[in-house]
Amino acid sequence: MIMIGERINGMFKDIGKAVREHDPKPLQEWAVKQKEGGAHYLDVNTGPNSEDQTVDLPWMIKVVREVSDLPLAIDTTDYNAMEAALIEYGKPGAVINSIGCEQEKIDRVFPMAAKYQADVVCLCISKSGIPKSADERVALAMEFVANAEAYGLQPDNLFIDPIILPVNVAQEHASEALETIRQIKLLSNPAPLTTIGLSNVSQKTPHRPLLNRTFAVMAMAVGLDSAILDVNDDLLVDAIASARIILNKDIYCDSYPKVFRQR
Amino acid sequence: MALTGLDIFKQLPKTNCKDCGSPTCLAFAMALANGKASLDQCPHVSEAAKENLGAASAPPVRTVKVGVGEQEIVMGDETVLFRHDKTFYHETAVAVQVSDTLSGAELDAKIEKINGLVLERVGQKVAINLVAITNCSGNAATFKAAVEAVAAKAQFALLLVSEDVAALEAALPAVAAKKPLIYAATAENWEKVVALAKANNVPVVVKGNGLDDTAALVEKVAAQYKELVIDFGSRQQAKTLAEHVNARRLAIKKKFRPFGYPMLAWTSATDPKEEILEATTYVAKYASIVVVKADEKHHLLPLFAWRMNIYTDPQKPMAVKATIYEIGEVTPDSPVYICTNFALTYFAVEGEVSASKIPGYIVAVDTDGASVLTAWAAGKFVAEPIYEFVKDCGVLDKVNHNSIVIPGHVAIISGKLKEKSGYDVIVGPQEAAGIPAFAKARYPQLMK
Repeated sequence: MIMIGERINGMFKDIGKAVREHDPKPLQEWAVKQKEGGAHYLDVNTGPNSEDQTVDLPWMIKVVREVSDLPLAIDTTDYNAMEAALIEYGKPGAVINSIGCEQEKIDRVFPMAAKYQADVVCLCISKSGIPKSADERVALAMEFVANAEAYGLQPDNLFIDPIILPVNVAQEHASEALETIRQIKLLSNPAPLTTIGLSNVSQKTPHRPLLNRTFAVMAMAVGLDSAILDVNDDLLVDAIASARIILNKDIYCDSYPKVFRQR
Repeated sequence: MALTGLDIFKQLPKTNCKDCGSPTCLAFAMALANGKASLDQCPHVSEAAKENLGAASAPPVRTVKVGVGEQEIVMGDETVLFRHDKTFYHETAVAVQVSDTLSGAELDAKIEKINGLVLERVGQKVAINLVAITNCSGNAATFKAAVEAVAAKAQFALLLVSEDVAALEAALPAVAAKKPLIYAATAENWEKVVALAKANNVPVVVKGNGLDDTAALVEKVAAQYKELVIDFGSRQQAKTLAEHVNARRLAIKKKFRPFGYPMLAWTSATDPKEEILEATTYVAKYASIVVVKADEKHHLLPLFAWRMNIYTDPQKPMAVKATIYEIGEVTPDSPVYICTNFALTYFAVEGEVSASKIPGYIVAVDTDGASVLTAWAAGKFVAEPIYEFVKDCGVLDKVNHNSIVIPGHVAIISGKLKEKSGYDVIVGPQEAAGIPAFAKARYPQLMK
């Protein structure tokens, strides 16, 4: 399970302020702290208050990389800012986060992914919104896979996100998202990777950590490969480590929760 | 591995006509991938697509058989790259070479020697599987005579080795009933050799030159005949290893049909010890046949043992034969140790009894290969079955005492066992590592 640390995001007040003032300290503290939590990637997002993402996003990349060698998930829908960030990143292995299933976005982003050897988070969401049924979501996933081939990307360069909505207001979506993940793993060989914005499942509920970790293990059982999540939620990471053991993904040892965080 | 949705979708007409009952071709493809629909439900799918999908759902490595009756060898039908993922199914066949330059008494002696290459290991018969008659003479008539002489006497399946079409044509018909494997169809001769194989209904080795060349050749041959074994043609260990690994990966992971056949490897080392080491690599890495020159039992036994170990099923516990084992020079005074027939348990006890320097009998009770505590928990290593086994195996007829030593972990059964059997039941140490100290303290008079 690839854990993408969600915390360096301008939606959080401390990061939003740091981005406006170009103060590297909060970003760098969270980079270190999330690595300690076991993050495999760090998500980087300017937040909505950035005046110019083409300036702020590369700056964020630069200061995070000063303290961390983890690969980054570059989180924006401004694809000029994305390209500037990829140039600043300057090596293969970044993740472009994200695109929806619209041909013009695919045509803009897939060539960029191929050029900078980056992977792409693909959201199962189309111009007409978020589909409800698993079948409709899988159809969008297939669009991405078919397009990837045309642009020289492999299916496993894609992190397909079936989209999860909060269970308090969109309860019927979660089970459809789980079925989508299961089917995406049957789409192609190699199969596309799957990811999820985990914390979304519990927005505005009083049981966030409980819902997050319960959904994480359920999604892993149907083939979830990665998630954008709170890596400093210890109970969540313990649950993920345990699910990996139960799924025979990691070899058991008595100290597996600790070992999982060290990888 | 099952077909993916994308594989199926690519073969569908993409009409989204709903005639199959699914809303779109993609939904239908996913239903097929999930096993919820059958291809016949689509009236518009082409014959070519049906054939492609049928072939793609065939097993990744084709089953090919050589020989008849007891000499039959089944090759291929493997599904994993690592035995711990499931198991390897069909043991590598060992072929020993005989040159057709031998004749008369020399040849008879060689055949007799080869027929003797049958050994016993842990209660099982292990042997070579094929005699490879090589056309070293370069003469078709000589080859035919040698093949017939070997076929008449050898107790193993045959591998006819000649790239000369005339030699194979001369030798094959008389021995075709024994279903030999013929070697080899090459880029130069394949049309004739494959026609010969087809006419006589025998499998044939396709010999290429490296991965690309062999794939191209197999593709041409497979259009006409599918009873094939592949030889990549290289005679260097590292290169052969790499080719085997790549080919088997492609066959299993990517369903690459040209490599979906059993593979044959030749050893190239001249020293028999090095040759056996080389052969162990091929046994571990996917060869269905390995052809060697070594024909001495002491060279071949390690290769047989290795093959047996690699091809055991890792999901099943390794068991030793349930019987009496004599460790060292036993006398009627020697102690009798009781353990289970789980290989790990037995060998742990055997090692320690041997290290104690006090000869002893070990009775490996039949527990279906379960360990002491597992068998105890399952009721297979308790008073009644132990008593029955010890009584039936007759170990106490060999000694002048009436005592048996049981594992310390099952001390709890000692009372009932004593009552049941009337034996003097001695509770030994919990771990086999304690046996030397236990034996020295208990039987000082037997120390050597």
